[in-house]
Amino acid sequence: MWKLADKELTNRLIQGTAQYPSPEILCESIRASGAEVVTIALRRQSPKDKAGARFWELIRGLGVHVLPNTAGCRTVKEAVTTAQMARDLFGTSWIKLEVIGDDYTLQPDTTALVEAARILVKDGFEVLPYTTEDLIVAQCLVDAGCRVVMPWGAYIGSAQGLTNKFALMTLRKRLPDTTLIVDAGLGKPSEAAHAMELGYDGVLVNTAIALAKDPVSMARAFGDAVRAGRAAYEAGLITPREMAAPSTPTIGQPFWHSERRE
Amino acid sequence: MTSNTQSIGIVGAGIMGRLLALELKWQGHTVTLFDRNDRDGRGSCSWTGAGMIAPYCELEAAERMITELGVYSAQRWPKLIKKFAEPVFYHSRGSLVVAHPNDRNELERLRRRVIDNAPRPDIMEEVDGARLGELEPELAGRFPQGLFFPFEQHMANRDLLRAMGKTLETEGVKFVTGFTTQTISSGEISDGHSTHTFDRVIDCRGMGAKSDLPELRGVRGELFYLHAPEVNLSRPVRLMHPRYSIYIVPRPNNEYVVGATAIESDDDRNVTVRSSLELLSAAYTVHTGFAEARVKEASVACRPAFPDNHPRIHTADGLIRVNGLYRHGFLIAPALSEFIASYIQTGAIPEKGKTLFREA
Ligand SMILES: Cc1cc2nc3c(=O)[nH]c(=O)nc-3n(C[C@H](O)[C@H](O)[C@H](O)COP(=O)(O)OP(=O)(O)OC[C@H]3O[C@@H](n4cnc5c(N)ncnc54)[C@H](O)[C@@H]3O)c2cc1C
Repeated sequence: MWKLADKELTNRLIQGTAQYPSPEILCESIRASGAEVVTIALRRQSPKDKAGARFWELIRGLGVHVLPNTAGCRTVKEAVTTAQMARDLFGTSWIKLEVIGDDYTLQPDTTALVEAARILVKDGFEVLPYTTEDLIVAQCLVDAGCRVVMPWGAYIGSAQGLTNKFALMTLRKRLPDTTLIVDAGLGKPSEAAHAMELGYDGVLVNTAIALAKDPVSMARAFGDAVRAGRAAYEAGLITPREMAAPSTPTIGQPFWHSERRE
Repeated sequence: MTSNTQSIGIVGAGIMGRLLALELKWQGHTVTLFDRNDRDGRGSCSWTGAGMIAPYCELEAAERMITELGVYSAQRWPKLIKKFAEPVFYHSRGSLVVAHPNDRNELERLRRRVIDNAPRPDIMEEVDGARLGELEPELAGRFPQGLFFPFEQHMANRDLLRAMGKTLETEGVKFVTGFTTQTISSGEISDGHSTHTFDRVIDCRGMGAKSDLPELRGVRGELFYLHAPEVNLSRPVRLMHPRYSIYIVPRPNNEYVVGATAIESDDDRNVTVRSSLELLSAAYTVHTGFAEARVKEASVACRPAFPDNHPRIHTADGLIRVNGLYRHGFLIAPALSEFIASYIQTGAIPEKGKTLFREA
């Protein structure tokens, strides 16, 4: 069991719902991975008229927690309005906060992000911000009242994996009490496992599953990888050894043989 | 009810209803077609559709089954069009898929999906910049690489609907327009005022059948009709992009259809600014000649889809419902209408289409 904000969960994979070949395959993938939280973009679905209702009903039918996001928002105002619409529509105060600063890479505008987070936290939202791996920004988000911070592994949809592992490790060490989720950029289950081994509380995956040749099997693979990575983290990973130069005489070899080279 | 001539009532004169009406008429049945709109098909999803017959490019998102239905239909289209009472703008010049250098991985993804799902190697050619320039001279130097699908086709959907409307008349199919059906049941069609009875009724209402098909949903699609005198393309061109993939489909006289969005929504109101920006700026990156093009129309429709995005043929005594053609109505209608006609003729579900049928 772990806690995402105030919810007790068993599965540590959060799944996105975009770009699947069909809603049916999406639903099967969620069942296969065992994800208990799924993100939903509502920006374009005329939420006020419930025009996308059929799609949401299908997802709701799975009994998962819905994490609406503000995907596609470019300003503080847009993001705040979208979050408020999402709260009315889905009856949840959870919001995955995205404020996009660059249209091609979908890199977050971290300045606007922090500002929007402040406003939404004050308004009673549980804000889960999508951010870069920058420690100071993450700290500002925590100061703004975010219990969960979601740094990227790489650009959204890029499948580049953990491009700045060192910074992600720093975040983990420096924010031990914050729930940290790697969001975006993961391409392979091994990368998800890696993020979990670093002590991250969860990962969020969309494109790598949705666009796989067989999304259902890929979802299962990600679910397994996340479990494996977490189990490894809890089991305590050994520290890698510097094995290039033997520290003790190798059996069968006279000890002065190796010493002489130094 | 498998005698050789039946009286058949069809509701919904989009691509599916029209084709089925003709097919059944040609088999010797007495056919009446009803639609709430006009003879030309305005207001239908088929009126908006782009008219590509692209069984391989569609693998971008669709599954192999759609490709198979599409390949089968693509063989039927030329023969069907020959039987129509009016000419239809129809070409089989293949289609081209390109991507900007940064997005070449999108091409690679499509290439792999086609290789994994396609029956034959010759249906796709990997082209370099030079070959691309041979195929579409105005794209020379704009893209370093692309994919060419030589067997794909495209047609002007509105020509097609009109020509089919005319053919229905010459073939003696009764076409009742301005008739908004309220209830459809086994052998009966009613608009609340008058009730028409038939041996068999077929429901082809697309999104209009939503209340009778609880699983049906709409996937909003938006596209533009542009008049672009500075652009000369002879075949559909698709631009692959991580988010803003578009297609440009030629029509006669330098007109082009630029589409399309795919949004999980039943909203069929006007095109939004966001969608316009996405579609038109992507088109501009394919060919700068679109800058001076005239916007003739922005068109919206919701594609009727079931949760698996596959079509379904529901059969019950005296009532058949065909729906869920999603983004593939033109691509797959000839296969579906042949399966249904064969089912009506023989009472047996045809082997080729058996996964589509659901018996009550
Ligand atoms: C933007 C866009 C682009 C597309 N591009 C392509 C493409 O390139 N290639 C392709 O193959 N497909 C394409 N499609 C998909 C294709 O257009 C649809 O699959 C197809 O039009 C569905 O046809 P249909 O006959 O089932 O429904 P429709 O065309 O919607 O026809 C249903 C008919 O039923 C009538 N009706 C509804 N309710 C009632 C009622 N109560 N009483 C009487 N009449 C009623 C309507 O007036 C309508 O005429 C595209 C779709 C969109 C939106």
